[in-house]
Order: sequence, then C-alpha cells, then structure tokens
Amino acid sequence: MSFAQASRLARREIRGGLRGFTVFLACLALGVATIAAIGSVRAAIEAGLATEGAALLGGDAEMSFTYRRATDDERAWMDQNTLATSELIDFRSMAVVTQGDSSDRALTQVKAIDSAYPLVGSVQLDPPQPLDTAMAGQDGLPGAVVQELLADRLELEIGDTFALGQQDFVLMARLIREPDSSGGFGLAPRTIVTLDGLSNSGLLSPGTLFTSHYRLDLPPNPDLVALEQDALAQFESTGLRWRDSRNGAPGITRFVERFGAFLILVGLAGLAVGGVGVSTAIRAYLARKTEVIAILRSLGAERNTIFLTYFLQIGMVASVGIAAGLLIGALTPILLAPLILSVLPFPAVFTVYPLPLFEAALYGALTAAIFTLWPLARIEDVRPTSLFRDALGARTSLPALRYLIAVALLLAVLVGVAAWLSGSTRLTLWFAGGVVAAMVFLSLAALGLRALIRALPRRALRAPALNWALNAISRSREATTPVVMSLGLGLSVLATIGQVDGNLRNAIARDLPDVAPSFFFVDIQKDQMPGFQAQMDANAAVSKVENAPMLRGVVTRINDVPAREVAGDHWVIRGDRGLTYADEMPANTKLTAGEWWGPGYDAPPQISFAEEEALEIGIKLGDAITVNVLGRDITATVTSFREVDFSTAGMGFVITMNAAALSGAPHSFIATVYAEEAAEAGILRSLSEAYPNITAIHVREAVGRVSTLVGQLANATTYGAAAILLTGFLVIIGAAAAGQQGRTYEAAVLKTMGAVRSQILSSFALRAALLGAAAGLVALAIGLTGAWAVMTFVMESDFTVIWSNALIVVTAGLMANLLAGLFFALPSLGVRPARILRARD
Amino acid sequence: MTSILSLKDAALALDSNAGRVEILHGITLEVHKGETLALVGPSGSGKSSLLMLMGGLERATGGQITALDQNLSAMSEDALARFRRANMGVVFQNFHLIPTMTALENVATPLELAGHRDAMERARAELDAVGLGHRGDHYPSQLSGGEQQRVALARASAPSPQILLADEPTGNLDQSTGEIIMDLLFDMHAKRGTTLVLVTHSNALAQRCSRVVRLRDGLIADATDAAA
Repeated sequence: MSFAQASRLARREIRGGLRGFTVFLACLALGVATIAAIGSVRAAIEAGLATEGAALLGGDAEMSFTYRRATDDERAWMDQNTLATSELIDFRSMAVVTQGDSSDRALTQVKAIDSAYPLVGSVQLDPPQPLDTAMAGQDGLPGAVVQELLADRLELEIGDTFALGQQDFVLMARLIREPDSSGGFGLAPRTIVTLDGLSNSGLLSPGTLFTSHYRLDLPPNPDLVALEQDALAQFESTGLRWRDSRNGAPGITRFVERFGAFLILVGLAGLAVGGVGVSTAIRAYLARKTEVIAILRSLGAERNTIFLTYFLQIGMVASVGIAAGLLIGALTPILLAPLILSVLPFPAVFTVYPLPLFEAALYGALTAAIFTLWPLARIEDVRPTSLFRDALGARTSLPALRYLIAVALLLAVLVGVAAWLSGSTRLTLWFAGGVVAAMVFLSLAALGLRALIRALPRRALRAPALNWALNAISRSREATTPVVMSLGLGLSVLATIGQVDGNLRNAIARDLPDVAPSFFFVDIQKDQMPGFQAQMDANAAVSKVENAPMLRGVVTRINDVPAREVAGDHWVIRGDRGLTYADEMPANTKLTAGEWWGPGYDAPPQISFAEEEALEIGIKLGDAITVNVLGRDITATVTSFREVDFSTAGMGFVITMNAAALSGAPHSFIATVYAEEAAEAGILRSLSEAYPNITAIHVREAVGRVSTLVGQLANATTYGAAAILLTGFLVIIGAAAAGQQGRTYEAAVLKTMGAVRSQILSSFALRAALLGAAAGLVALAIGLTGAWAVMTFVMESDFTVIWSNALIVVTAGLMANLLAGLFFALPSLGVRPARILRARD
Repeated sequence: MTSILSLKDAALALDSNAGRVEILHGITLEVHKGETLALVGPSGSGKSSLLMLMGGLERATGGQITALDQNLSAMSEDALARFRRANMGVVFQNFHLIPTMTALENVATPLELAGHRDAMERARAELDAVGLGHRGDHYPSQLSGGEQQRVALARASAPSPQILLADEPTGNLDQSTGEIIMDLLFDMHAKRGTTLVLVTHSNALAQRCSRVVRLRDGLIADATDAAA
C-alpha cells in the first residue's frame, strides 16, 4: 500500500465535489459546534471566575470560622500578614415587618459587615448611594439594604423599618449587586447590615449558627501557598477554613465544571446522532462509488490502497465539517456574549479558548472515524465483477474483524477521553453505556419494525396507500434504520430529560411537602425549648415536633490521618456539618451495626455515624474521628451506624455523639414542626412574637426555590437535547433526500398503474408518519427506562410516567418525519412518468 | 505452442435471493501465447463470466485456472490485483473510466498503482498511440463514446500487459467507431505480441481472431480456428 498513491487517488476523487456530503458535513459541524460552544462557555465562566477570584472572594484571601469570631491570636496573625482586614458575619434570620397588630416575616440571609467592607469591588444599590451612607441609617436607626425579592415579599418601601431579632433597621436601598456574591443558590434573599447595628439584636448569642469571615487584603504578589500553609499550621486545629483568590468560588467552579461536563456528554450524544447521519451518508456515497472502486480493483489496486483512498477522502471532508463546527462553536458564544451574560449569575470572559475547541475537534474526529469505519469496511466487499453484474444478494454480514476491533478501540478512546476530560468516569460510563444501549436497541427496533410489518396479514387491508407505505417501510433498510436511529436517539434523550425533570419536580414540589416538615426552627436557645415545646403541644394543628441539640463542627481527621486524605472530596468532610448529641437512643433511631452507648455514659467520646455516608467514606466501627467544634478538637470512636434518610427533608445528622462529649459546649436547638398547611402562618407568627431570635425556614418556600432551580438546570439540558434533535432532524432530511430518486421512480410507476396523486401522497405521508411515530414510541420506551433507572438508582426516588411529556415525544417524532418526508415527496408527484421511466432504461 | 492461460474444468455458480445459479459448467480451455481468441455465443451463455474468470476478476467455484503458470484460484484478492496490474489489461463494453479523473489520469492510474515513476509520461505516449494526445486533460463526460473506449484501450495497454481481455469492446459503439477500436486492438496485438481474448457478438470481429470458442448454456459448444 502506498500512501502517496492513495492520497493522489483521493485528491482526484474529491474533485467530484461534496455532493452527497451535505448531511455528513451538517451533522458533524452541528455536533462539533454544540460541544465547542458548551466548552467555550464553560471556559469563559472559568476564566471569569479566575479573573474575578479576588472580587468573588471579597479579598485576596479569606479565613472563616464557624459559630465564633476570630480569637485575639488569629486577629494578630491577620494584622501581621495583611494590609487590611474586613470582618463579616453571615447567618440566616427572620426579617419581621410589624404594622399595628399584624406582622409579616420572611427568611433572609444576613451579612453583617464592618466599615472596611468591601475590600474589593463595590456594592451597587438602588437608589444609588455609597454603602456607608446606607448603613448609617436615619432617625437613629441603623440602615439596611435588602435584595428586591425580600423587599417585595415583605412589601417594604425605602424608608420603611423592619426588625432582625430585637433590633429595628431602616431600609435605605435595594441591593442590586454585591461584589462577593457569585450566584443565586441561597435559600433566602440577602440583607446587609453593620456588625455594630446588629450588636443589640440578640441574634449572635453563643450557640447561634453563624459563620465569621475575615477578608484579607494582602501585599502585592502574595505567596498564597505559603500563607495558607502557615495559617493552617497554626489555626486549622481550631476550625479555620482558608480560601484565596486562586479559586475564589470553589462551589461554583465545581458546579460549572460538573454541569459543563454533563452538558458536553449531552453534546456527545448529539454527535452520536450525527454519527448515524455520517454513517448513512458514507454508505450512500460508497454505493455511488461502487463502480469506481470496481474499476480500481480491475486495474490492480489492492484493498488497502482503495480503503486508504476513501478514508483519506472522507477524512478531508470530515476536516471541513469539523473546522466549520469549530468556527461556529467558537464564534457563537462570543456573538451571544451580551445575552449569555445577562442571564448568567457568574462572571464570564468571552474569547476564543483553544482547549475546548481541541476537545470538540477530538470528539468530532473520533466520532467521524467510528461511524465511517463501519461502512468503509464494506469496500472490501466490492469486487471487480460489480462492473458487469449487480450483486446477486446484498451481503449484510459484519465487517472484517480488524475493522470491528478498530471501531471498538476508537470507541474506547472516545469514552476514555470523555471520562478524563469530564472528570467523572462513572457518569461518562453510564452515559456512554446508555447511548450505546439505546443505539443497539433502536437498531434492533428498526429491524423488528420491518419484520413485524412483513408479518402483518396485508390482504385484510383494503387501502392501497397504506399497503404501499407498509411495503416501503418493510423493504427498505436505508429508509427505515437511519430514521429510527437518529430521530429515536434524539427523542430518547429528550424523553429521558423530560421524565427525570418531571419526576424530580414532582418529588420536590408535590411529594416532598407531604412527608417533609412544615418548618425548620433553628437557633432555639436551651431555656426556650420548654416554652417552644409547650406552644407546639397546645396547637391542635401540629401533628409532630422533633428537636435536637445542634452544633456545627468540621471533621478534620480520621484515624489521625487528615480527613481529606481518607475521604477525598466527600461532602461530609467539606466545610462544617451539623452535629448533635443524645444520651439515650432516640425512639426513631434505627441502628444497623454496633451498639448505642448506655444512658448516662460519661467515658471517652463515642460517635454513631450515618451508615451510607460511612460506607462511602470507608469508615468502619472502631475508627477514631476527630471533629473540631468551636475550635476544640474532639476525638471519638465510631461505635455504631445508623440509618439516616435525608430524602424526607426531616431531621438527619451524619454524626451523633454521646451527650457528655458535647453538651458542655455552647449550642442551640433545632426543631422540625409538622403541621397542617392552613395553620403554618399562625404558627410562624406566634413563635416569632414569643421568640424573635428563632429563625424559621418554611419548607414549602424553600422547596419552591429548589424546584425553580431544578427547572433552570433542566432547561439548560433541554437546550442540549434540542441540538441533538436538530441533528436528528438533519439526518432524517438526509435520509428523505437520499430516497428522493426512489420515490420519484415509485411515483412514476404507480401513476402508470393508475394511482392518482392524492393516493401516492397519502402513501408517502403515511410511511413518514408511521416511521416517525414508531421512532417516537421506541424513544419513549428508552426514555422511560432511562428515567426510571435514574430516579430509582441515582435519586432513590419513586418513578411515575409523565404522560404529557410522553405525548410530546411521540408527536414530535411523527411530525418531524412527516414534515421531512412531505417536503421531499411533493416534488416527485409533479414529474411525468415517461421521463423517469425512460431515464431508467 | 506455449499456453499462457489454462482452464481445467472451471465452473462458476453464484448465490442469489432466488437460489444458486449455475453459470459455467466445467470449462476446459487453453489460450496460447500471442494468439487472438474470440468468445462468442448467445446472451446468458457465460462469455463475459468466462472472460472475468480468466482475468481473475471473478473467482471460480470449481476447477482450476492458471495464467502465466500461476494458479489464479489459489491467489488472494490482493494477489490477484497485483497479478493483473503486472500482466493483464481489461477493456469493458461500458468503458468504465473514472469520471473524476482526466483521460491522462485514467491511463496513468494502473501505472501509478504498479509504482512507475514515469506514469504520466508513459500515459501520454499511450494516449498519443490511440490518437488522443490532445484530449489528455478532458474528463470522460467531455469525450464521445468512441474516445472513451480509446482511452480505456490506452489504459489497458499502458502497463504493456501480456494478456489483454476485452468484453464486447465495440458493443456500445456505432459500426464505424467500433471498427476504429478493433483496428487499434489488433494493431496493438500485432505490434506488442499481446495475447488478446475478446468477447463479442459480432461474427465479423470474431473472424478476425485466430480462434473462435462458442459457448452455450455455460459450456463450450465448439472451438474453431478462424481460418476453418
């Protein structure tokens, strides 16, 4: 085999133009463009987060403590190492508006600041004014600014007053933008007040759940690594958490990375759909090239030379498609930057990013190779005899083993690259497995559909148009398989997303409130518990009250090894967690292993750990876990595992310690109250009046916010699925266009036999609609299975069919194929039979 | 006389959707070096199939075919391709030029496949030899039927094959153009000593060959010297 020979032949062959490659190019370009655009947007956000790292963080670095403010030693370290320090305290509370005898209240995320805030960037207020002016307040009351959502919720106008705890504040402005806010994921809208203003509120008493943050303005070009190491060496054991501008918003970075990776996988599914179009186009192209291949064989060309000739030729066309896709994918986000920035809650820097483009090109090249190799392998079947004799029986056997191995290897490389780049092997394998299984299933479904139609007792059908339509579907692989596969795969993804989204929203918005409590009450002081309990007991609408002492702590070490080395990035060790203690085993606790400490136990500390999380981290009975609570390390032995169900949004603690270990530390109580919906407003009012410091989280409101967020994520995913569907539509247009000549001939023959145009058109419409509906039904079956698997095994929730979505999927399949079919069918009706039949002679 | 092509009990059967079709039943035939042999017979008698078996373009399902002392039946597809490009030229009734290549490139292709560095120069000389030197840059669609067949003839003879196989080379041409092609074929045979095997329906053409083999229903009905 000579590469030079093959490339020379390929160059000559490609002179024939790109006719027949339109769908190939469009599918590849669209798939690559989708992935390139997703990757570019992700890179733009990551660049934005990196550039704005200090602003998002509110300083060059941040030191945080849970439950407490910095000690003198810690402040001294800050003073020694920084140019300036800003202190702020973050916590949830209730904003209360009182008018006469009535009052209204809403949960808010309070940020109490000092005069140095913000160290970086500026706060934007409406009406515009300096933050100092707003914080100064008026008429002897300290000022406050709140987000519009909270002002609207409490019907607060500028100049109105509201209370946080026992302190009244005057609303000076609405908060438009805080420089150190990087997204809208909080459960409550923001209020900013000063630390001084809050001093008489009674909200920051010992045991209250709050976090103190110290933003550090460091000297130019600080050695962040050395500073972090030094700070952690001195204060990590007392609960210090460190962040710096190298990754100012780790939570968002993680979210953007993961969601971006997920969307790229959705884009890859789009490429797989495009691959069906690629494969169909190559098959049709090589069918047209059979004569040339046979001529080359008769002239003495070896199989490898011919294979390489067409491989190079298709490679050249694929390069054009990939380049077009990269161009579209790189430019679209830049052109749409203003629009994207207006809806994006993160900063982003839009420019051309080579890495995501390379990633998209790699996926495009691998997909093109995978879907091209299979039909290309059939070149081996073309023998010189094709020149004087049609193949007497079309071979449908598999390609030679070496091609199958090559396809399998390329697929493995593609999945491997996707797993590596997405950072989640498990997600990638699930996704790849799902797509491959769906493609196999769709391919079998296409075969099954044809077999089923062949087996139908057709004599009973008196409608010739239906008979012709069924014959056409059952006889033509080229007309059936690409449509079922491409349309089916696109609709499968759409169906899965639709069903998962619907079920998730149902689970959150409809089912969760049935099992979840009405309220979470936090920051209940110990001396308030008897009164709180009595008030709840006296209310007939309250069906259940649960309470537990609540502290927060950071798991720092497991068996004396830093927790991160043992548990990686597991959520339990990420930041501080709620802890509780108990003496006797609570009535509803279900131990799965080990034993509960006895009543009055007062020996070395023990932990009862949530079983599922222990298994995930690898914690065993007898392991020693060190938890930093309020700056003090408590090391306890795991003596039992418990079943903890977080899905009901009830009270659930990963770590429960024996009472003696924690009861001495300052802490408050948390309570869940289950009540009738109609009584919720009354409960909130009476409790807030009696205990202004208590913060209530209304579960129904929180569920609404989470549900909205899930909806937004589902929308973003649906855009990805729409790109897949568009690719699928391109493929069916390609299939319809490829069948144009055959349909024209068929129409001519039918006309000579006396068929009128309406009958022929009905037949064409019927076959398109039947095939589209069949693709929709198969896709629905796949979508339902996929969604059931996701809900059952990943979400561990119930699954019910969302029928509205199911109907959309089947209808979309039917309509899409009908439109494409009719578009190409109509011209064939107008052609005069004699001309077509003569041309065939 | 030296045998250049030898068929012993060669058979061909093909599978079709309707079942197995027997095309040739045990053909035994010797083709001598330098001779001109015409294969004649009614449509469907197996003439073209026999020619393709001789060229290794079709694989026999029975018997043995030897060309230049090489057993074609035992060769792989690629070995057959290499053998063809070194020793055989084929001319088809439908010309079978590659539409995306110019006349010159079509003629040069077998030379390039055989690794000749001077493929283009030799191809140009071959085109000159068939009187089409001035049409080298034209594509097949820009040539008449007769011109296309002349290009096909130049392509078949360019590697100087020992055996030239022609399947109804004048079948798609009018009489005068067909005669020009036949003159070229026989000139080439005379000048280069090429062994020529051709399939034809034309008695006149068959009579120009040194031997005529008549086929009927996949069997040799008779074989006669042209002079007989």
